[in-house]
Amino acid sequence: MSGRSERVRGKLSYAEAIREALDIAMDRDERVVLMGEDIGVYGGAFQVTGDLFGKYGPERVIDTPISELGGAGVAIGAAMTGLRPVFEFQFSDFAALAMEQIVNQAAKLRYMLGGAVSVPVVMRFPAGSGTGAAAQHSQSIEAWLGHVPGLKVVQPSTPEDAKGLLLSAIEDPDPVMIFEHKLLYKTKGHVPRGHYETPIGEAALRRIGHSLTIVATSIMARKSLSAAEELARQGIHADVIDLRSIRPIDRETVLASVRKTGRLMCVYEGVKTLGIGAEISAMVAESDAFDFLEAPIVRLGGAECPIPYNPELEKSVVPQEPDILEAARNLVQGRI
Amino acid sequence: MASSNMPYAVRAYERRRLADALRKMILIRKFEEAAEASYMRGLIHGTMHLSIGQEASAVGSCMSLEERDKITSTHRGHGHCLARGADLGRMFAEFFGKETGYCRGRGGSMHIADVERGNLGANGIVGGGLPIAVGSALSAKRLGTGAVTVCFFGDGANNEGAFHESLNMAAIWKLPVVFVCENNLYGMSMSTDRSTAVGNISERAAAYSMPGATVDGNDFSAVAEAVDAAVARARAGEGPSLVENMTYRLRGHSRSDRNRYRTKQEIDDWAKRDPITRLFGMLVSHGVMAEGDMAELDGDAARKIDDALAFAASSPDPKVEEAAFYVYAGSGAR
Amino acid sequence: MPVEVIMPKVDMDMASGKILAWHVSAGDEVSKGDPLFDIETDKAAMEVESPGDGILRFPVDEGAVVQIGRPVGWIYADGEVASDPPGGIPSSKDEFRQSVPGEATADGSRNNISSGPDNISGKFRASPLARSLARADGFEIATIVGTGPRGRIEAKDVRNYQARRESEADTSDALAVSESASGTGTPIILLHGFASDAKSWTRLESNLGQRPLVRMELPGHGRSQILKAVGFPDLAATVRQTFDGLNLDKAHLIGHSLGGALLLDLANARPDLVASLTLIAPAGLGPEINGELLAGILRATRSESLGPWLKKLVADESLVTESYVQAAMRDRMEQSTRAAQEAMADALFPDGVQAFDLRAALARVEVPTRILWGKQDRMIQWNHALRAPGRVAIHLLDGIGHMPQIEAPEEVARIIEANL
Repeated sequence: MSGRSERVRGKLSYAEAIREALDIAMDRDERVVLMGEDIGVYGGAFQVTGDLFGKYGPERVIDTPISELGGAGVAIGAAMTGLRPVFEFQFSDFAALAMEQIVNQAAKLRYMLGGAVSVPVVMRFPAGSGTGAAAQHSQSIEAWLGHVPGLKVVQPSTPEDAKGLLLSAIEDPDPVMIFEHKLLYKTKGHVPRGHYETPIGEAALRRIGHSLTIVATSIMARKSLSAAEELARQGIHADVIDLRSIRPIDRETVLASVRKTGRLMCVYEGVKTLGIGAEISAMVAESDAFDFLEAPIVRLGGAECPIPYNPELEKSVVPQEPDILEAARNLVQGRI
Repeated sequence: MASSNMPYAVRAYERRRLADALRKMILIRKFEEAAEASYMRGLIHGTMHLSIGQEASAVGSCMSLEERDKITSTHRGHGHCLARGADLGRMFAEFFGKETGYCRGRGGSMHIADVERGNLGANGIVGGGLPIAVGSALSAKRLGTGAVTVCFFGDGANNEGAFHESLNMAAIWKLPVVFVCENNLYGMSMSTDRSTAVGNISERAAAYSMPGATVDGNDFSAVAEAVDAAVARARAGEGPSLVENMTYRLRGHSRSDRNRYRTKQEIDDWAKRDPITRLFGMLVSHGVMAEGDMAELDGDAARKIDDALAFAASSPDPKVEEAAFYVYAGSGAR
Repeated sequence: MPVEVIMPKVDMDMASGKILAWHVSAGDEVSKGDPLFDIETDKAAMEVESPGDGILRFPVDEGAVVQIGRPVGWIYADGEVASDPPGGIPSSKDEFRQSVPGEATADGSRNNISSGPDNISGKFRASPLARSLARADGFEIATIVGTGPRGRIEAKDVRNYQARRESEADTSDALAVSESASGTGTPIILLHGFASDAKSWTRLESNLGQRPLVRMELPGHGRSQILKAVGFPDLAATVRQTFDGLNLDKAHLIGHSLGGALLLDLANARPDLVASLTLIAPAGLGPEINGELLAGILRATRSESLGPWLKKLVADESLVTESYVQAAMRDRMEQSTRAAQEAMADALFPDGVQAFDLRAALARVEVPTRILWGKQDRMIQWNHALRAPGRVAIHLLDGIGHMPQIEAPEEVARIIEANL
């Protein structure tokens, strides 16, 4: 008889859930190694790797020099030749330094070589604004990578998904990019014990309604869900879809919801233009779900502006809950 | 006493291996000449980068590699691929964009690879293969395979950030990798004199606390001697080395090069230092081969090339509806 | 002045920190740089050094969670009197949350809802769902009036239309009715004149307020079907029947020309349901009418012959532009339409005379009534208005012809609004 304490435990934070996933993966598979800047004894800039260095040592929790291009490339080369590296970028913004290896190498090698190699690398990107870190440490660049065939790109919004998607990513034979919003690291939630996988490419319908469909990513899924509770008190019932994966995108979940509600709103933190919302909107417009639309599609995205430092400015350039509320009301109450 | 005057290669390798090395260099030359001819006849799409004149570097650098060892190659990578024993027919088939090619017609000349023989692929990005080679060495060390990775790159790559980041990481982690710079004096049109602050690229090894050597890259024996030592060092767990093979491409950078940046005189001078002629001369003078053997080697190579071309020409094209196969695992045949 | 000891921000996204332990007690002496207290953030525990020399006073309790930048204690110089802490010091029970300075409201650049023209000639705003429903049902969506934003036809409009069509299937004589986008208050019923249609109200409508509008169209005009019986009593009965079908509690009536006469008849027949009556250049108050003008309009089969007659309907002929004439002609292109109107004219205005007289009805109607008339009306003379009883307000508009609602929509709307 297993005791209660065996089954019941407190909530884990998003960061703890990621660490648990890394721990489980490293424990069951010797090939899994962690690479990145300050992930060793320091425990990672956001304390995600924490004390894994103490448990697995420098051979498997590898501090890299500040060499994002080279570091990413080494992880890719290692992935091609038998390891399962999980590479942490200190901030997603630094991916710009490593774009060559991510885009030209990791994404394309399998294809260029006619299927002769696999690149099972995982890259983790602390992303997003809200920490006062200004323009070079706050971007949401997932759409850049979402534009590259050969990569898979996910954005977990809950601790449970952070763990499950990471475990899926580590098992995946292709390169998986995981964008982790920095403000989510401390959010808590129930996380199943042990090894489980959250499928890449499946959205989560977080709330069921009929008045409109909100498709959101990462922290915007949380904000949208919270806005949806308030909307429900006002008689507006939203389907809230947490996209979770932007490459591949779960087309069917989105289309089915739009067919039901006839109204679509996309909420994401990345710059609005040419972003995820554009893709979702176009996907609906190109499909039969278009015939079920009752109103124009609405996108709430980041402003056409770098992330500013001043906290009020910083807040103003990404969608906030009141923005979501207002836009949803306008959409449903026929003001657009 | 006689042995001390003998070139390294003659001392180090059996006759059979020496003859085999020469055969490979001739094969590379004939292969590229045939590719050039096919290109001119319009059988090859796009562009290609020929390494005619650099055969000693490719073959000499692979002499002590074993089956488990890896190489990363460059856009000028036909020689590296053949030095590791690749199949001529599948290479030509790739150039012709055929489904039977090494990359199923998806990669072409610039991405030619032969993963089964440890060639992780040519790379279209200058410096793109350097971090990958370091990663391959990291795997070898971590998994204890004992494999060494030879990382080919050109003089152009030595000014890429990836070069510096890769050498540094290989050094701090003492990884089993040998960086082989094929310095053919020009990154496209820009000479190393104009592009590179140091006189010899091997001097840069000092910055990463690893041995660096510059050798005559058209001298098979000199290349083999330097790289063999570096491979042995890597295999012994002593870390990376940098070897710079001074060589010359007798053709232009790519098929669209009009050779405006170098003189006829310079090209002719280098042609006189043809690595194949030199190796053959050396083997004859040390009694490994006879003057008359060359015709047979040439004929042999020509026959193989003809068979390979026939195979490639008669191979099927990939299906248009399968263009997106191999983007992700599970799509396409394996 | 005492030195303030604050909760320091030690990492990028730290909002508050918890006092784990003080290294010195209140009243103890400390030197700058001495370990003073330990804090715990979500990431790490950290020691904080004393920012000054002196005596520690008023330290917050251990275990307290304090927002970054807020004081956790004070260091007093030797001999400095410490009565009360200089600022409020949080106790362990206080819970500090990160301040939420007035959440940013929707900003224009992000939520801007693109505005577009309300109507584009020949195009109709309709949601994709409404269009597909109409397509499936096999009718032209343009026959529906949209109630969505900017007049967008939405699925509910289509469904309402379908339901109405079914319920009206047996009352085949009813007139075509279109309703405006939602409004509030007592609805206004609009009825146009002979050889016109509901579109003639467009300019006036945009000047009227938020009331719901119901436009009726005469038989053989606009979207109404052609009826065989077209004498004035027949028409009046059809108008009544249509009005009754609307099931309104109360309505304001506005009619123009022949429409004025018909609504006057309606007001007479349904006095309890009428809130007010506005007659614009109404027919029925005298026998004279410009028969030549009527005949000219009826005869025209192309815009070149229609234009000169239409110009006579207004005072300022520049209002009748070429495109206006072409649009008017398009509405008359159907031979069956012209024939129906000709039959109606023959019944209503034989030999250029108004064959019906509503002066008695006007005398009976008790609801607030006013008459508007252009003094340059060349179809029906304005002085017919003078036959109205004294309680009827009369507005005579100078420089205006037979079509005040088109020629001076603001002025007409002002007069109407003032009396609704």
